[in-house]
Amino acid sequence: MLKRVIPTYMSAEEVLPSEVYLQEEVRLQLDKRYLLLAQSGDGKTSLLNILYGCNRHFHGSVDYPWSNSSAVDSVRKEKLSYVFQDLKLFPSLTALENIQIKNALTGHKSEEEILGMLERVGLKQKSNTLAASLSLGQRQRVAVIRALCQPFQMLLLDEPFSHLDAENSTILADLIHEELEKQRAGLIMTSLSPSNVFDFDQILKLSL
Amino acid sequence: MLSLTLGSIILLITLQLFVDINSLLEKETDVFAQDCVVINKNISVLQSYDKEGIYFSEKEIDELESQSFIKSVSPFNVATFEVEAQIKGAAGMSMLATELFFESIPDEYLDVPLDHWVWDEQSNVIPIVIPENYINLYNFGFAESQNLPVISQKTIEQVAFDIRIKGQGGRGSFRGNIVGFSNKINSILVPEEFLDWANQQFGKGPNQKANRLLVEFKDPSDEAILQYFNTQDYSINENELEASKLKFIFKTALSFSFLIALVIVILSITSVLLSFSLVIQRNVEQISTLFLIGFSLATIARYYRLVLGISTMLALTVAYLITYFIHELIASNLSNYFAWKSEENYLLIGAIALFGVVFTLGQWKLVRAVRGVVQA
Repeated sequence: MLKRVIPTYMSAEEVLPSEVYLQEEVRLQLDKRYLLLAQSGDGKTSLLNILYGCNRHFHGSVDYPWSNSSAVDSVRKEKLSYVFQDLKLFPSLTALENIQIKNALTGHKSEEEILGMLERVGLKQKSNTLAASLSLGQRQRVAVIRALCQPFQMLLLDEPFSHLDAENSTILADLIHEELEKQRAGLIMTSLSPSNVFDFDQILKLSL
Repeated sequence: MLSLTLGSIILLITLQLFVDINSLLEKETDVFAQDCVVINKNISVLQSYDKEGIYFSEKEIDELESQSFIKSVSPFNVATFEVEAQIKGAAGMSMLATELFFESIPDEYLDVPLDHWVWDEQSNVIPIVIPENYINLYNFGFAESQNLPVISQKTIEQVAFDIRIKGQGGRGSFRGNIVGFSNKINSILVPEEFLDWANQQFGKGPNQKANRLLVEFKDPSDEAILQYFNTQDYSINENELEASKLKFIFKTALSFSFLIALVIVILSITSVLLSFSLVIQRNVEQISTLFLIGFSLATIARYYRLVLGISTMLALTVAYLITYFIHELIASNLSNYFAWKSEENYLLIGAIALFGVVFTLGQWKLVRAVRGVVQA
């Protein structure tokens, strides 16, 4: 639940048409799928960061269904998963290692499951390639698989298909969809243009 | 890390030397620390006619006692009767006879072993301590000129001689035994118990007037001592005070190097902390990503803590080993000069304490730095 939230670096005029920012109350439910629609610079990533707890520069308040005082690392391990727009992979680790480092923390998937997912998105041959040598689209897929290697109640996706062709997008979307179903989790995805890959329950516009 | 090792070496070795020298100075009192000195009044021509002037008055003793640097003042107890010593040869013939005097001081100021320093009314034997000078005077002066054999301290201790006492209260005869030789007190000493008893028995009763005082200092390296005695008309062996200043010089020198070592250690701890900050700054990206994908601060810090622990441990182990060998070397050198052995070894405790300090500080800095990164 968000109450009158606005990033400190954005003015009231900038967020005027927003359906989220500065609204008296916005309820996001853990079993629903939301699409955040906005132009560049209208605060999509900021909103996800605020929800994920890694952006504290905002006014207003965010209430979670779990205790607000619960340790941020346990929330990130069990409740919220996030595919960052800049992916945040370790460039000096291989694709597989990037996923394993997260899975080692949560123990959510088996080695076979991880390799299976890599195979589905067509990256099995690249699993031992350094993340730094992967293309942007390949890295995007690795980052999504990493985000799926943990239990979560809500998945945050920041333009996850921005560098993928239609075919690869569909494969990846299927993978995400299956995990959402399996975990009965909700989803918040940002996008520049309307999309319905995930049968969204609600579309929230941050700009006109 | 090198600077930490170096600083620790100097700090530890100074600490240990401090402890060693202190114990050395305490044990070898007759070599260094003259905690007690004997003072008397200067004797002028006038006093040759009027002897009263050589005695210390109550007031003077009180004044001495009131000085801040003086721990205690005890007057010499003097025999108020005549004493004659004889060594008898075969058939009871007197071989050597000399007139003597006795004095006594409280037992705790004696610098000879007190094993045989006992007297009781039943036993007829009086233990006596004479100045080491006497035997030297005899051996190197008198015996040479008279063509007499030299005698050792052990030989003298074997010889028993007759003591005759004559005073107002009558006469007495005893056996005398030399039980030790004093470096410190230039007098013929008998146990205080005996002298009190004998003064009562044979002399003019307890001696009231003191002409020599044994002064015990709290800290012989106190500057005020020399200043005070320079202003008084008391005779004091300044050499004794100079010797006691050795302790002060030792302490000053060691304190100084301790201080320098401390500065080095503090600097090196700072540089360790700084280098850790640098390592963390270099890994800002990784640390913040780890935190973002759900790693806790403690987990992230654990790796750096391990590095910190191992490197500090390494530096201090090397420092400990080096100081251990240096100390062994110094100790064996010192024991060549003095009958002294290093008993307390603070090196290990010191090294562990240093490790504790460095590690705690490092960890504190580490957690702060990591937290700083993820909260940025």
